[in-house]
Amino acid sequence: MNRRVELNRGNRIFLACVYWAFVLYVFVPLILMIVMGFKDSKFIGFPIRSWTLDWYTGVFSDAEVLYTFGYSVVIAILSTLISVIVGTWIAVLLEGRKFWGRAVTFGLMVLPALVPGIISAIAFRIYARMLGIEPGMGAIIWAHAVHNVPFVTLVVMARLSTLPKSQIEAARDLGADPLMAFMRITLPYLVPAILGASVFCLLLSFDDFVRSFFLGGYEPTLPVLIFAMLRSGMSPEINAIATVALVLTAAIGIWAERFTRRANKESQT
Amino acid sequence: MTSPLVHIDGISKRFGDAVALENLSLDIAEGEFVTFLGPSGCGKSTTLRILGGFERPDTGRVILDGEDVTNQPPERRHVNMVFQDYALFPHMTVQQNISFALELKGMDKSAIKRRLDEITSFLELDGFGDRYPGQLSGGQRQRVALARALAPDPALLLLDEPLGALDAKLRGQVQRELKSIQRQTHKTFFFVTHDQEEALTMSDRIVVMNKGRVEQDGTPEDLYFHPQSRFVAEFIGETNLLSGKMRGVDGEAVVMDWFGQTLRGHAPSGVPTEGASITASVRLEKLGFHKARPDLPNAVQGHVVSKTFLGSRMAVDMVVDQTDGAKLRAFVDADTGHSIGDDPIWAAWDSDSMAVLRD
Repeated sequence: MNRRVELNRGNRIFLACVYWAFVLYVFVPLILMIVMGFKDSKFIGFPIRSWTLDWYTGVFSDAEVLYTFGYSVVIAILSTLISVIVGTWIAVLLEGRKFWGRAVTFGLMVLPALVPGIISAIAFRIYARMLGIEPGMGAIIWAHAVHNVPFVTLVVMARLSTLPKSQIEAARDLGADPLMAFMRITLPYLVPAILGASVFCLLLSFDDFVRSFFLGGYEPTLPVLIFAMLRSGMSPEINAIATVALVLTAAIGIWAERFTRRANKESQT
Repeated sequence: MTSPLVHIDGISKRFGDAVALENLSLDIAEGEFVTFLGPSGCGKSTTLRILGGFERPDTGRVILDGEDVTNQPPERRHVNMVFQDYALFPHMTVQQNISFALELKGMDKSAIKRRLDEITSFLELDGFGDRYPGQLSGGQRQRVALARALAPDPALLLLDEPLGALDAKLRGQVQRELKSIQRQTHKTFFFVTHDQEEALTMSDRIVVMNKGRVEQDGTPEDLYFHPQSRFVAEFIGETNLLSGKMRGVDGEAVVMDWFGQTLRGHAPSGVPTEGASITASVRLEKLGFHKARPDLPNAVQGHVVSKTFLGSRMAVDMVVDQTDGAKLRAFVDADTGHSIGDDPIWAAWDSDSMAVLRD
């Protein structure tokens, strides 16, 4: 069963060129950003006459940067926890059930992920004021969680739809009540999907600028801090911060991808 | 008479407009190997799922061991099931799968261990305890599924086409194993299949289902040699169907007219009215060939038109004289088959081998 399209040599080389051109286009800016973080000069640009790690030591000894980094991480973790619990719950309620208005329910569930960030940020801001919620950590967590719930629900629903009905019936048959069947069979089956979705939510939250900007109080999240720093001029310190963030997120992303793939493989019988 | 283990009392079930079961009543005795046999959509799986507690009948009751379980959820019934896809839990080892029910029952660790050892050695699963279902072959998975269902010592074991996923060679072996397991455990097995051969080899009793109703209920031999309806005759094994007119009754035998020939048979489903159009069934191996007219109640003359070698036997097709080219098919051993030449020949069978069918 070979479903690959046969290509002649010329076409193959052409496609390879296009591919690598695309890769360069995507990665050259990132590479430049990383390289400039090691430049021993305040001015970003070529030529580079000498190298330094000073910008990195600067970042790691800058209390404000470190604090902000921690602040962003806490927001990411808490908002992810909420998204995962709510998102999984919705997935379990929606998947495989037929009821009147299911399509509408589903659409409403997906909507938060589709509303443009700027619009939902403004809406949240107004709503928060009406409710008397102060801008700050709580408001940001709330906005991130709402935005991320659909991603969790979609990923978990996709996984749930592959759980054979007989698995739950077998658990019931062997003496498990519905709750026990869920805890012992459904939930373990969903773990890879939940973990994958969690990492995605963490990264989305960590990366978010618009919502954090509109709903933040006096303490900025990392993207907001970088934005603020930019206003006082581009400095290689920003490059260093960005590089650290890039390495961390890439590492987490790759680990999660490998983990979910392995878990998926194991559960296939 | 002791009361039956399972008493099914007039259950019906519809799915939308489709009737899955229509007023089914049935008793199952303890220790019986009962097979529900029929094509897909005949209601056999619905019956199984009602017994397991996965469906509720629209009407009627299910009594298990004297207790009305009609509205009991599956987890409260003393019934376990071997699923068609086995439904082993992929994230649990073989051991964890088998002890799942025991754990939920709240048995203590040493008791679980004892039961686990007992059941794994009985089903020859020693040494597989720490493996995951994904690491087992189809036959091994099937045994784990059986072990898991037998572990809590159910009063009734339901088996939902558990051999369907196995290859043909393994299936024969597993059929014998299942039968012997059932004999040794004295458990009541409720087996569902569409495979008539499977049903014939394993069951004490077969219930043939068609369109939500019981077509016939009896021992394998009863169903095979004395089918009551055309459906049963055709669904189980191969058969010759002879369409004719009812002529009357002669002692124990039912007399029918078939292209002017007088044939004698029996009517397991009751004697039809005189003059009615009827169909009779004669099994292929019940036909014998003779050079001269034999002294048997039924004998017709004709010519052999084809012979097919089938290994253990030979299928012989003959066209019967003085008919519209009506054909009869017979199974004989290869030597007999070869000895039949082009000369006219008599095919004969006794009246007990021919069952007059209900339509």
